[in-house]
Amino acid sequence: MEKGLAVTNTSSNLVGLSKLEKISSSLFKKSIGIILLLIFWQISVPLINLESYFYPAPYDVWLAFIDLLYKGILHSYILDSAGRYLLGLVTGVSLALFLGVLIALNKKIAKALLPLINFLFAIVEVAWIPLFVMWFGYGLTTIVVALTYVAFFPMLFNTMSGIQTIPAVYINAAKTLGASPFMLIFQVYLPSAMPQILTGLRASAGFTFRGLIFSEMIAAKSGIGFLIFEGSTNQQTARTIVGMICMGLAWIFLDLFYIKSIEKATVERWGMLKTAESVS
Amino acid sequence: MKHGQEFKLDGLLGLIPFALVAMVWWIIPQTMEYPQYMLPPIQDVVQRYFEIIQDGSLLKHTLASLRKLTIGFGIGSVFAIIVGVSIASSKRVSEYLSPVLTFLQSIAGVAWIPLAIIWFGSGTNAVLFVIINTIFFSCINNVVTGVQQIPSVLRRAALSNGASPLQILFNLTLPGAFVQLIVGFRTSLAFGWRALVAGEMIASAKGLGYMTLEAVQWYQTATVMSGMITIGVLWLLLDRLFFKKIEDATVIRWGVLKR
Repeated sequence: MEKGLAVTNTSSNLVGLSKLEKISSSLFKKSIGIILLLIFWQISVPLINLESYFYPAPYDVWLAFIDLLYKGILHSYILDSAGRYLLGLVTGVSLALFLGVLIALNKKIAKALLPLINFLFAIVEVAWIPLFVMWFGYGLTTIVVALTYVAFFPMLFNTMSGIQTIPAVYINAAKTLGASPFMLIFQVYLPSAMPQILTGLRASAGFTFRGLIFSEMIAAKSGIGFLIFEGSTNQQTARTIVGMICMGLAWIFLDLFYIKSIEKATVERWGMLKTAESVS
Repeated sequence: MKHGQEFKLDGLLGLIPFALVAMVWWIIPQTMEYPQYMLPPIQDVVQRYFEIIQDGSLLKHTLASLRKLTIGFGIGSVFAIIVGVSIASSKRVSEYLSPVLTFLQSIAGVAWIPLAIIWFGSGTNAVLFVIINTIFFSCINNVVTGVQQIPSVLRRAALSNGASPLQILFNLTLPGAFVQLIVGFRTSLAFGWRALVAGEMIASAKGLGYMTLEAVQWYQTATVMSGMITIGVLWLLLDRLFFKKIEDATVIRWGVLKR
């Protein structure tokens, strides 16, 4: 009810305002919390009065950011991280999509494989990293294998349940109209399961992102995770915080511009988001 | 009757891949040449597993990990409920704070390990900080949206019947947001578990994560694998025996969430 009131209020106030002003006012509302946090942080530094490596001020972080940018370290690290992330995510997600369809379509295979898959899923990727390090050494291979491993499971589970919950009517209708198995997969199974598949993609992307940071801490000599870790071992805490902020911004950027826009371009446009909500 | 039989058959079917993995693992060390540490024979791992059970080190590390998880989850979730409920009670505050929360949520977890080491030194406290941080920020958004989804009619009805703030909290807000709370706690525990293992690997001298990564330096692959298996089994137990039971007893029985 409160919501309804607020909407009518703003709409009557904003009649004369341009769209730009509307956007800027919402931007202002969104940034106010962050600005307050920064001010609070900057003020608290002289009050707490600790060594700057222990509790750096926002200004120190800004200087570290400029320094990293100027030396070209930051963007080469971001590019390294992005490459590893994409490689691992794409490999894991495509494997999961393929296996997910296969498993969902055959009950025998599902019953045979699911216990093993559940067990492997329970051994989180973090626990695999020591073994991967022994097998593949420190470096790209270990990270990509670990990320593939993380990305695989959420996508697999969502693809499976997406396909398994398709109403049998659709499948029977397509079959009686003479659809080939190939057509069935690409024109019935995948589109109807799309909302769940996208949920899976989103979960995979999120877990993989955290996996990236940790595997870079242990097994890399570059990248955002390495920056976060290296900064603290050299007592350059400001650099650690630059890394953390980059990580947060990168994830928000990814979520807003890629994952949400994929969702908009597909399920929302097809009008299927409602079914997604009722299923999950 | 038939159902029971089918169930048994399914269980047997599910064992086949495990048996296959064990067989391949048994054959490879006998037929191929490679450094022993890459893949120790399965019997070595089993033997090692019994060794660490007998000398009590597995139990010690497992208990250390579970203790951290329990404390971290307890503190983190209670904080999340307190802060989440108070944020959700004011629309303006939640509007201003939600970008901050989204941002902190996106960096919650392993990224805090280095800072935690600087602030608390290497040890249990650093790991605890990371777990609490992870649990708190992973579920606070669920708490806020859960509370905000409660129809305000209910709140007004309770108020006009003279409910005290405490009564509203325990009889309306928390039960009303329960579904979201359970979903939030479950995902936050998944993130918290990863953060725990990761934190122990980097910042602790106790726990399953420490045991696993420490063994890499001595090329004791059998210990690494024992650690991994324990981590997997523990997580299955936690998720299935604990959270699924709670879900079955509450939201699924109430019919708010379907499986």
